[in-house]
Amino acid sequence: MHPPTKFSLLDANGQEQQFPPDGPVLLALVKEDCDTCNLTLPLLEAVHRATEDGLDVWVAVQKTDDIPVLKERHDLTMPLLDDDALDLSYETDIDTVPTLFLYDEEQNCTLQTFGFDKHEWREIASESMELAGRSGADTAIDWESLPEQRPGCGARNYEPGVYERLQAIKSGDLLSRLVDLASSDDIHEFMYDQGYTDGFPVVPPTRERVWKMLQGTPRDPQDEVAIVPPNLAPITVEKIAINAVMAGAKPEYMPAIISLVEIACTETFNIHGVLATTMGATPVGIFNGPIRDRIGMNYLHGALGSGNRANAAIGRALRLCARNVGGSIPGGTDRATQGGPHRLTMNFAENEDASPWESLAVEYGFEPTDDIATLMAMSGGPATVADERSRDARGMAGTLAASMSCMQDPKSPMVDTLVVLSPDHAGIFGRSGWSKDDVRECIMEETAIPLKHRLRSDDAGCGLPPSVVERFGGEAALDLPVPKFREPSNIILVVAGSSAAKFSTILGGWAGGVYSTPTSARIGPDGALEIRGARAAEMDKRSSGGRDLGAFEPNIRRP
Amino acid sequence: MVTQILDPTDERVPIKRSLTPRPEALHGTIALLDISKPRGDVFLNRLEELLHERAPGIETRRFMKPTVAKPAPQPIKDEILEECDFVIEALAD
Repeated sequence: MHPPTKFSLLDANGQEQQFPPDGPVLLALVKEDCDTCNLTLPLLEAVHRATEDGLDVWVAVQKTDDIPVLKERHDLTMPLLDDDALDLSYETDIDTVPTLFLYDEEQNCTLQTFGFDKHEWREIASESMELAGRSGADTAIDWESLPEQRPGCGARNYEPGVYERLQAIKSGDLLSRLVDLASSDDIHEFMYDQGYTDGFPVVPPTRERVWKMLQGTPRDPQDEVAIVPPNLAPITVEKIAINAVMAGAKPEYMPAIISLVEIACTETFNIHGVLATTMGATPVGIFNGPIRDRIGMNYLHGALGSGNRANAAIGRALRLCARNVGGSIPGGTDRATQGGPHRLTMNFAENEDASPWESLAVEYGFEPTDDIATLMAMSGGPATVADERSRDARGMAGTLAASMSCMQDPKSPMVDTLVVLSPDHAGIFGRSGWSKDDVRECIMEETAIPLKHRLRSDDAGCGLPPSVVERFGGEAALDLPVPKFREPSNIILVVAGSSAAKFSTILGGWAGGVYSTPTSARIGPDGALEIRGARAAEMDKRSSGGRDLGAFEPNIRRP
Repeated sequence: MVTQILDPTDERVPIKRSLTPRPEALHGTIALLDISKPRGDVFLNRLEELLHERAPGIETRRFMKPTVAKPAPQPIKDEILEECDFVIEALAD
């Protein structure tokens, strides 16, 4: 609560009143639907009448329409000022009405109170009389008939919705351009027409909503978080909050969303390439640690699909930031040939309790108690692996390998894959005592086929060019096994979903570690606290001589 | 009714650049930039042959991005800018 020093408000006659007036003044802030205000307004009027010209009594009313009502109800003659815009209430930061400030002739605030405390009000009335030069005179207030105390009411400037509006307008936190809509505009049609959306409706980012979103992080709204490709545009916390509102996020998701933006814009993750590639890759977010439950993420039924606000909105917010700030627009710098529905949002939490292994985050060097976000670029859409028969690890790993063998096409070696095991499938490995590495090694072996079967042929143009044979030792290399994936660590294993049934999901990577490296960060209130690339390998085709192979350098296993 | 929203974009106005005037004839050094896409070399090899055949006297220089997945590193862009008069980039497959 700060006693105001200077303001101007209109009175009931529409005349502008400048504060402070000459001489001492008693200032009150009230609202109509407050019993304590109604109890005390006659007291203020009594002081006004008793002090005559020796002291001004000004009453600021928090709603225009309440002024005539109060005036008539209490037969008020003192000036009633209109604080409908709540400028005075906001600047004064009152949270209770009535609130009183008494100023002496030097305009120093000497007494203040809120609510009704008879002792304090008597003191203020007495001091008012003294300041007016009428010390000892009667105020005509029957103090004995009044209660000892009455609590005040919540001031209108702190009412839900009003408080956020005032903060959004007056706090100075928001510096983005205000876009005005014509009264005939439909907001949803307008936002779609402006190119702000991903095709689905978005939540209109009003100042109130964006200000509320910013309360999800202590970070300064104008902090620059990252440079977003392809336009290499700086993105502030405020811009992230605007796009988070549009995505349907809640304020408590902000640390996660800021972290994803920071991860995406690293050199290792390379969001530029992920969203520009003709292959139609997309960032997939995986969350570990207590944050999963804290913000209500889904890692059970339908974890990879729809129906959970946190899963959906966090991933969508990242995509909207890339679109609206980074300028990644399909058909523009987003050159995806076809794309896929997971490009709208794909974001989920790992079911750590159902996993027989350490979580993805722990595998990447973090603590189980850390809140961790990992982004990985996937180009192949989620594909179901159904195996309701396997009862041992070998059979289950064989099923995964067989399913992966024809990922992209049956001949081409790939770099990486994301395997989202259901709890039932993961449990098979757990009961068999298989580690993640055991599963990976089995997949490497099971997917390995002779180099000659990975070569292009007249009846199928996919696969490696015949020229690769010379690089690997000529004809002798033709029978050497080439696994589907580059290294065992390129097979990323996580557990998600419920124990509904024995279905898992595999996604084809986008040359993880070559084009885009899976990248993780510890999530702090301000965003990413430490960012780690799971693998920092960079392939330079000029030095590797890997011309005409794309990223998919075969990994030949020599005996 | 919503009457005002905050701009979700970066709010920047793109710089307008005009095209370099088309030269009367090819001359000097032509950079041939391979972005590391499959068969980019096939295309550029043929283009290089044709350039030497139809514009005798010009020189060609080959450049290659380290990876198709990222923009060309600044040193490659600087080298092309400083040492070449034209650049032809082989995009996509």
